[in-house]
Amino acid sequence: MARFAVRRLASMVAVMFAISILTFLLFQVLPNSDPSTRLAGRTASPTQIAKIRSDWGFDKPIYVQYIKTMGKILNGTVTSYQQQLPVEDQIRQDLPTTLSLAIGAGVIWLALGILFGVLSAWRAGRWLDRGLTVLSLVGVSMPVFFLGAVLSYYIGDKARILPAGDYVALTSDPWQWFKHMLMPWFALSVLFIGVYSRILRSTILDTINDDYVRTARAKGLSERQVMIRHVLRNSLIPIVSLWGLDFASVLGGGAILTETVFNLHGVGQYAAQSVEGLDIPPVLVITMFGAFAVVLLSAVVDIVYAALDPRIRL
Amino acid sequence: MQRSFRLLSALLVALGSMVVVAACGSSSSTGSGAGKTGGSVTVVQGTAPDYFDPSLSYTTQGANWGWISYLGLYTYAHAEGTAGTQLIPAIATSQPVISNSGKTYTITIRHGLKYSNGMAVKASDFTFSVERAIKLNWGGASFVTNNVVGATAFSKGAKSISGITADNAAGKIVIHLMRPYGALENVLAFPAMGLLPPNTAMKNLSTSPPAGFGPYELKNVVPNVSYDVSLNPNYAGQAVPGVPAGHVNVHVKIETNTTTEASDVLNNSADVFDWGDTLPPALLSQIQSQSSDRYKAEQTALTLYFFLNTTEKPFNNPLARQAVIMALDRNALARLDSGNLTPDCYFLPALLVGHPTAPCPYGNPAAAPNLAAAKKLVAQAGLTGTPVTVWGQERSPRKEYVDYYASVLNSLGFKATTKIIASASYFPTIETLKLHPQTGFADWQQDFPNPIDFYLLLSKAALQPTGNQNFGEVSDPVIEKGLAKLSGVPSSQLSSVASQWQTLDEYVAKKAYVAVFGYEKTPKFTSNRINFGSLLFHPLYGNDWSSLQLK
Repeated sequence: MARFAVRRLASMVAVMFAISILTFLLFQVLPNSDPSTRLAGRTASPTQIAKIRSDWGFDKPIYVQYIKTMGKILNGTVTSYQQQLPVEDQIRQDLPTTLSLAIGAGVIWLALGILFGVLSAWRAGRWLDRGLTVLSLVGVSMPVFFLGAVLSYYIGDKARILPAGDYVALTSDPWQWFKHMLMPWFALSVLFIGVYSRILRSTILDTINDDYVRTARAKGLSERQVMIRHVLRNSLIPIVSLWGLDFASVLGGGAILTETVFNLHGVGQYAAQSVEGLDIPPVLVITMFGAFAVVLLSAVVDIVYAALDPRIRL
Repeated sequence: MQRSFRLLSALLVALGSMVVVAACGSSSSTGSGAGKTGGSVTVVQGTAPDYFDPSLSYTTQGANWGWISYLGLYTYAHAEGTAGTQLIPAIATSQPVISNSGKTYTITIRHGLKYSNGMAVKASDFTFSVERAIKLNWGGASFVTNNVVGATAFSKGAKSISGITADNAAGKIVIHLMRPYGALENVLAFPAMGLLPPNTAMKNLSTSPPAGFGPYELKNVVPNVSYDVSLNPNYAGQAVPGVPAGHVNVHVKIETNTTTEASDVLNNSADVFDWGDTLPPALLSQIQSQSSDRYKAEQTALTLYFFLNTTEKPFNNPLARQAVIMALDRNALARLDSGNLTPDCYFLPALLVGHPTAPCPYGNPAAAPNLAAAKKLVAQAGLTGTPVTVWGQERSPRKEYVDYYASVLNSLGFKATTKIIASASYFPTIETLKLHPQTGFADWQQDFPNPIDFYLLLSKAALQPTGNQNFGEVSDPVIEKGLAKLSGVPSSQLSSVASQWQTLDEYVAKKAYVAVFGYEKTPKFTSNRINFGSLLFHPLYGNDWSSLQLK
């Protein structure tokens, strides 16, 4: 276990280092990506632009700028170019929203994905399977920007059953938090539920005829025991792997559309604004945060793998 | 590939929303009646202000709160149309006393004023506030550093600005200029020149805005999410003539999806649509038909034009430039912006002193273009087949403008191709002088209502290696001579030289230096709760929040 932890930690550092270099360089090679001209505004004089370049250190070699920026990121003092606000504060402000969205939606799509996948495989070829297949395909084909807008208008604006958007902190009003998050959770989950249920259905149907399943049945285990302890346990391995990556991606700012439709002001929306403004520091921090989430969740997934399948060693 | 996720997401979200908004209804009420004082309204802004510190903010979203929360020596009349371009004294007692040379301005401030934190307003606070804006690299700092004695030296490390002296006992401020600069009063009216208490920290205070003097206070800032512009309870007792005390508290919500922003106002879950945003075309007709009592397209002083590089082939030939201006169908361009464009040919917008009244030299801009005559000019100049690169930015409808423009150039016989680049890097790109872009989209939103602000774009002084605003690289002795004469005329005396500005603008139109296609209109759109009739649309700052009243 200790070796596993050290190995993962080392890979995490390597991945984050590589990502930071790539992101930083990408912004440097863009034509006219010099932030000083954007910071100075359209009426700036050359003197003013030169002053900003010097004040912010944009006149230094790229590697010096990189080291300086990374130093500030690591000690939490890096500020955005656009608003000159501490990036850490902004992420701390936006993270509860993204966490609320990711955790709630992650639980929903995992639970419903498994439920629909199992039901579909269990009743393969029958009306329930066909119905769930159609539902899954609808879910997969339903873009979040469309579903979100439909939900927001009909359930939020028109029927006023749920709030059409905005985020209320869990700590300030748990009931309002729940009400405000229901639609975003659902909108974000639908696609994943469809994908997960289809994958699980096909994995279960593949596994159900394996030798060890036949052996379990031959031993006299009930169909329920066979399904839960043998078939489902093994079939869940790809689902767990997928869930880890998808969850990490949402956590690392990947739910841009959902956050935008419902005006949640999460990390994803912040990332989008920063990319639009070619604002390197927030983009660097969010990219590294996303990478951190992916590597961390991958490690968690590996641990769950080992629990699901004793043949897998950490 | 560098195009932002946000724009992509905004497009996708807009696409999704279009499907559902068709059924969106409204319950407009009729008649404005008299408004009441008190209560709170919610304004939705698609873009957050750049900063929440008056010494740094330089966008229209920032000016909305800036001009009512941070009064400077001068401000603008709270009025619509050209009346709103009139400078009025705010912290100053009267118009400045200007020396005969036009290089010394003496201003006296009002006695007994107090900031929102209770500190007394002093003359020396002006010096401090100007220095703070320069120190923090305010976007408009060059208006000060290029004109006030010692301001450039201060920006490079000098202890203070030698050209500004303040006498607290007498309440007098003296500003020495390097040369006569008539727009100084306009510069002094910028919210960034608003007076701040001397103990204000010399750093970006966007998360806890500093105290100021004005009818409103900026509070409860949650960056990129929301902020409050609340009535200053201490203002009523020391109100400045012409600067109203306000009626309601304003809560501002940042709503990056403009379709949701518009739907919120249409459905009365928010009260005011940000004038800096564009109403989604999917909702516009519905708003126009069903909410006409709370919607109006207001004229702004934003000139939209295609620059024509006078030093590069083919536009170094006047015939080619004339042909372009003759061939533009401005009504077609207006349609690309859902009609939010007033076709015209002059560089100075209609709201500005100096806007010509003479007919356009190359055809009526509201009529169909004379394509045949334009084609003839290109052929006559021997420029048929000349390759032209048309620069444009991705933002809609600007990309569409450029696509249309390229098609016009092709129909004239040029071989035009477009070069569309990301919005964030568009202007920094074409502002690079050595690029010498042939032609492309450009716009200019007035910094202040003075023709000199527009004419900087056609002056030799604007030609600089980076940050070049003179995209057409115009260098004309007639313009230079005119500017030398007119730039020193104080803003308060602009009307006395209106005809001279008109002559200059007519000259520029005749020389076909820029292919102006019109002035942008912007939405004034509110919920049913707002007394629409009382809401002023200011020519510089848009919706005047201090005039907002509930029904």
